[in-house]
Amino acid sequence: MAERIYIFKRFERFWHWSQALLIIFLLVTGFEIHGTYSLFGFHAATELHTTAAWTLVALWVFAIFWHFTTGEWKQYIPTMEKVDAMLKFYLTGIFTDAPHPFKQTTVRKHNPLQRLAYLFVLAIINPLIWTTGWFYLFYDSWESWGFGWLNLEWVAFFHVIAAFMILIFLIAHIYLATAGHTVSAHIKAMITGWEEVED
Amino acid sequence: MMKAVVGFITGIVFVGLVGWNMADVMMLREVASPYSVEETAARIQRNIQSLSANGWTLSGLRNPAKAVANSGSNVPPVLLIEACSTKYSGPILKDDATRILSILMPCTITVYKKDDGKTYIGLMNAGLMGKMFGVGDIMAKVAKDQETFVTFDSSKPAPPLIKVRPGGGGAGGKDADGC
Amino acid sequence: MFKFKYKGAELIVAFVLSLGMIWPAYATSDAKAVDKAPVKTKGSSVDVFDIATEQDKKSTADHSKFKELQVDFKDGPAVTKACLACHTEASKQLHKTKHWNWDYINADTKQHLGKKNVINNFCTSVPSNYKFCTACHIGYGWEDENFDFTAEEKVDCLVCHDTTASYKKLPGLAGHPNYKTMEWPPHSGKFRAPTDLKRIAQNVGKTSRATCGACHFRGGGGDAVKHGDLDSTLTNPSRYLDVHMDAKGLDFSCAKCHTSDSHEVAGSRYQPTAVDDKGTFIRGSKDERNAATCVACHGNVPHDGEYEKMNSHTDKLACQTCHIPAYARGNKHTKMSWDWSTLGEMDENGKPKKIFGSEGKVLYDSKKGDFTYDRYVIPEYQWFNGEVEFTLADTKFDPSQVLKINSFKGNADDGKSRIWPTKVFRGKQMYDKGNNTLVVTSLSDDKETALWKNFDINKAVEYGMKYAGRDFSGQVGWIETEMSWPITHMVAPKEDVVACHQCHTENGRLAGIDGIYMPGANNTPLLDKLGFALALLTLIGVLIHGAIRYFMHKRGG
Repeated sequence: MAERIYIFKRFERFWHWSQALLIIFLLVTGFEIHGTYSLFGFHAATELHTTAAWTLVALWVFAIFWHFTTGEWKQYIPTMEKVDAMLKFYLTGIFTDAPHPFKQTTVRKHNPLQRLAYLFVLAIINPLIWTTGWFYLFYDSWESWGFGWLNLEWVAFFHVIAAFMILIFLIAHIYLATAGHTVSAHIKAMITGWEEVED
Repeated sequence: MMKAVVGFITGIVFVGLVGWNMADVMMLREVASPYSVEETAARIQRNIQSLSANGWTLSGLRNPAKAVANSGSNVPPVLLIEACSTKYSGPILKDDATRILSILMPCTITVYKKDDGKTYIGLMNAGLMGKMFGVGDIMAKVAKDQETFVTFDSSKPAPPLIKVRPGGGGAGGKDADGC
Repeated sequence: MFKFKYKGAELIVAFVLSLGMIWPAYATSDAKAVDKAPVKTKGSSVDVFDIATEQDKKSTADHSKFKELQVDFKDGPAVTKACLACHTEASKQLHKTKHWNWDYINADTKQHLGKKNVINNFCTSVPSNYKFCTACHIGYGWEDENFDFTAEEKVDCLVCHDTTASYKKLPGLAGHPNYKTMEWPPHSGKFRAPTDLKRIAQNVGKTSRATCGACHFRGGGGDAVKHGDLDSTLTNPSRYLDVHMDAKGLDFSCAKCHTSDSHEVAGSRYQPTAVDDKGTFIRGSKDERNAATCVACHGNVPHDGEYEKMNSHTDKLACQTCHIPAYARGNKHTKMSWDWSTLGEMDENGKPKKIFGSEGKVLYDSKKGDFTYDRYVIPEYQWFNGEVEFTLADTKFDPSQVLKINSFKGNADDGKSRIWPTKVFRGKQMYDKGNNTLVVTSLSDDKETALWKNFDINKAVEYGMKYAGRDFSGQVGWIETEMSWPITHMVAPKEDVVACHQCHTENGRLAGIDGIYMPGANNTPLLDKLGFALALLTLIGVLIHGAIRYFMHKRGG
């Protein structure tokens, strides 16, 4: 018998979906600026990319505030416990409808693999994309900040590397969103907040 | 069932996008020219006159860039060469069903410069458009003549540009009234 | 509107598409509509003559009322004498300028330059051709090397201060206008009436686009020939051609930017200001700066709002690079190359011939060789720090290389260079094969040795070199040359600037310029291949994983 638990609070859901849209939009405009295709036109793409980036900054300020005031930041503390079980599940168990090795609760809503993946995002991808993006935005101030030795080529290079990582993360993330006990279970939870958990 | 519908729609969107991408390539054709805009236009004019046996006359030379400049902004040089052959336009204009195609007359060839500094010639895909509008036989001939218009003999010296007033009689003859 | 550059990207984007991303119908153009600057209109169109009379109305002196000018002048120097009666110091001031001396020493490079010394790849050299060349000298009677540069009455006041547009110094008259009826152009059957010096003298005024242009629009021997960004269409330009000189708008004269002090005019092509990082040039400033830069009026951070990001480009680009999208935009064709080596070919009657092109321009002239022309020309871009090194008359060079008549110094790393738009004029011209130096050629002298009399290049060079007092080996060869001209006039309205995507794209305008990173120019092909390959593999991986799940599930349940 399935039990329904309330996992994702209203702000969290708003954060997730608006962030998702912004990140996809940043990817679309970013790869246009990079020269992969032309869609909005270079100038419009740079403007949109910058605006979206600032919007995401604002969203993050709220999100960080929310995580600390609610204590939800603890959800992201990484753990190696049951990681092997998770991997095994994705490689075999999932095909045979084996039981999920991780039991979701309101205080532990991310499985150990998720925690590791989000740690990677937080510790590697985000610092890389934000630092390089920040330098990109404030190109004029490098000299006065003591970064006159920096060159745009390397800033851009690492910004693009981070963008590819995000793209790959996005593909995997979207796919794994279908890996609940039904294909749409996780996605529904992210929309309504309620997840059905098997006893 | 749902999946099939979504797949079908995605397919249509994808094909539509590809088609949208291709449409301009199919309807219009762009070829590079080794000469300047003026010389290219002048050589095309000579080539048009060389086919006077097929009824071709020059019916105009327009400089749309000049009009833009007069209104205060810049565009690279463009020259529109207008030509007409009553031998081809006659049958199209005679028939009620095809008379609306007069909107595409006179036959226009455009010569222009792009940001790479090179000269290009723009042509309508007369063959395809003819088929689309049910006058494939005539337009196939026009397409063949068009090929001659843009085939240059570099051993000949640069001819002077013939300044034909749009709609006025060209050097090709007094009957070239823009068809 | 939607074009992929990499085939592999289509799959990924199609995937992103299938996520339900619906993009808005967003404006695709880079060059967005910009509020048009308010255009000042004066009611009717203003021609050259109107401008002058308007200036005169503002002047406190009506020169037609001066007794000194109510006489029939016999020649130009007589007019100058009358001018000097009141403007006592004028000639002394002009005697110090390079407009008068055609002589200039670059204090930084120590090179001895000036019009009478340098050799270019147009008509090449002044000595032995004075009578023709000095039609553009601000003096009277410079017909040989014995010209008296201290003579005050030989300064030509009228060529710069005429307002009637009827004063013309003709080639061959050593800087004089015609005082008698004269056939002009030669052998044309057309005649020019004697110059009405009295009327011209009584109507003097400030310099104008027409007076400066009388020489500067016609550099290289004809309208639009030399500079590319200066031609007679600027006499009465419309807004699209030059936003500052727009005759119905701001209506700048040349002197608005090229300010002068004691007849010394700001701006130089021998020592140009490639970088001006000093901000606006405040009136009264004692700074000895070039007043004719963009920054002198517009400052260092001229962009705001939507275009604020453009301020970030000023550490690499000259203003002109974006603001002059092309030169020779006034429908005049500028000369792009000149091959002297083909000169001397005659027609079937053994007479000199001219062959005209579709543009109506001379493509071949027996006197001069082959030419090419162009209009609406996309500039060639170069790093430039303001230092120009000339190949002088005595500079030895390697004839197997293309010779740079003047080379623009600068690079990405010296911290004082900007990327500049330039016209590069290409030529093939005579040189001393024995000594590997450029030569002085007698083109138009009265003597039988002159090239345009006898079509014998050896005699012409021999005489020219003897005239200039230079050593000549006796062998004439042909050397390919290049000369660079910074493009700085014909500033387009802001809505016509070079658009972002014209550079920020693969093979854009600045392709080939080293030392810069431009987003959008396909800078990291390897990283892109790797990144998209990994993304694609991930996609394929999850699709396979999903497919197995689907089939296993189906079989099981």
